[in-house]
Amino acid sequence: MVRRLLARLGVAVATVAGAAALVWALQLLAPGDPARRVLAATGIHDPLPAQVEAAQRELGLDQPVYRRLMDWYAGVARGDLGVSWRTGRPVRAELADRLPATGRLVAATGVLAALAAIPVTLLASASRRRWPDGLLRVGTFVAAATPSFLVGTLLLDILVVRAGVGRVLSDGSWRAAWLPAVPLALGIAAYWSRVLRTALGEAATAPFLETAAARGSGRLRLLFVHALPNAARPLLAAVGVAMGSLLAGAVVIETLFTWPGVGRHLIEAIEARDAPVVQGFVLFGVACYVATSLLTDMLAWLIDPRPEAA
Amino acid sequence: MRSAGAVVGLFLLALLAFLAFMVPAFTPDPDATAYGDKLAQPSWAHLLGTDAAGRDVLARVAAGARISLGGALLVGVAGVVVGLLVGLAAALVGGVVDALLSRLIDVVLAVPTLLLALAVVGVLGPGLRNLLVAMVLAGWAPIARLARAWAAERLGRPYVTAARLAGLSRWRAARLHVVPPTAHAVLAVATLGLGETILGLAGLSFVGLGVQPPTAEWGQLVAENRLYATTAPWLVLAPGAAIVLSVAAVTLLADAWLDRAAAP
Repeated sequence: MVRRLLARLGVAVATVAGAAALVWALQLLAPGDPARRVLAATGIHDPLPAQVEAAQRELGLDQPVYRRLMDWYAGVARGDLGVSWRTGRPVRAELADRLPATGRLVAATGVLAALAAIPVTLLASASRRRWPDGLLRVGTFVAAATPSFLVGTLLLDILVVRAGVGRVLSDGSWRAAWLPAVPLALGIAAYWSRVLRTALGEAATAPFLETAAARGSGRLRLLFVHALPNAARPLLAAVGVAMGSLLAGAVVIETLFTWPGVGRHLIEAIEARDAPVVQGFVLFGVACYVATSLLTDMLAWLIDPRPEAA
Repeated sequence: MRSAGAVVGLFLLALLAFLAFMVPAFTPDPDATAYGDKLAQPSWAHLLGTDAAGRDVLARVAAGARISLGGALLVGVAGVVVGLLVGLAAALVGGVVDALLSRLIDVVLAVPTLLLALAVVGVLGPGLRNLLVAMVLAGWAPIARLARAWAAERLGRPYVTAARLAGLSRWRAARLHVVPPTAHAVLAVATLGLGETILGLAGLSFVGLGVQPPTAEWGQLVAENRLYATTAPWLVLAPGAAIVLSVAAVTLLADAWLDRAAAP
């Protein structure tokens, strides 16, 4: 078990390290000289050659490529993601300021999605091949095809403008987090529901379930005691995948709801071509994603300790 | 049941093709403004009404189909080509090449697709071309992993060994017996991914990272009209419905295709 844990931890660290190199390499794609861009951001549009050289030295651009990559790694290891080209503040501080609001949005989304997906899917699975199950399949299909920004736009219109629920509350608080969480949760709930339905369906045909049924277990006992724990592994894996799609989804929904989180900040940074903020956000997102799948993997081992099929 | 899905999918696809290719023939210029005629209700002159600049909404949705669907198709095809080349190279060459390409695939897969696309647009700058490049750079890796796994599995099958024993060179055996089934399987899966690509393109265009106004694109149309959702809901619902129907169409067709491929 310890060995398995250490191996999994090693994979997680290697993944983040690899992603850090990828994110760093992205800046090689950026057109133009970053030094000139930083100077332009500070108001110097026609810099003298000496000013450009000084800025290049300050950004470490005069160093060879491998040296710059090493510096980036050393910084990442210390939690130093560089300095915003737009504001001159450390990227870490810029992200930390806006992280709580995004954290609340993500947490609210997770709660709503779980509340919407799990009970309904369990009910529908208990009545497989009858109308509740068919309704759920159509519902999840439509929800998965609907873009979150469309739901968000209509929601803002109906609740805020027509029903006069009040001005758009986007102060980043817990109270306000539930409204923007709805469009995000819809797509994720649809995804979780499909995964859970498939997993329960597979467990339902497993020999151990027939044994349990033969021994006289009731339908509810079969579902909750025998089928559900066996569906835990795919469902927990789906939590990790949802975290990945949520990070990009939050960027869109935060922009629509003017939510003061990291996602909206990323769009502002992209518009200003503030590469260090973009890199910092993406690397942070990858770290969240990898950490989530690490946690859900460990949870899955606790619930279902069988070794994974290769 | 499944074939019913395929029929609905084909019907939706025909509808979308009609929208993209035939509708522009009998609607006004999608970019022609007429401020005297702004926010008009749907009528015979403007079947889906007009927007805040008096532009015909149906014409704009039809024009958007070319970018939203054409762009997604372009991204899908480019992703399949890159993914197939990388995956096949890894499986067929093997050794150090396989190890290096596999690590590269792992690293790219570790970054959620849309997050990586955001990162690439972030350094290249907003715009349709950059967005499409970003989606390809972010989307090829799952295809490459599948292509590598399937090609490796095919290579180990007895009939490939038999073909080699019959005197075919390694490359010829691969070209005849490994590449076609791998490409076929990858195409079916890539079609399923097309739905995600349509949603991703629309989402990133919605936040202003794709086409720039006044060019019509479905996500961008929802964004530019969202302030009028109360007075003129069709402005938002028309491009929104176009997105939902497209994703539904490709998902239904891909599901039917995958079902058929899986059936004996």
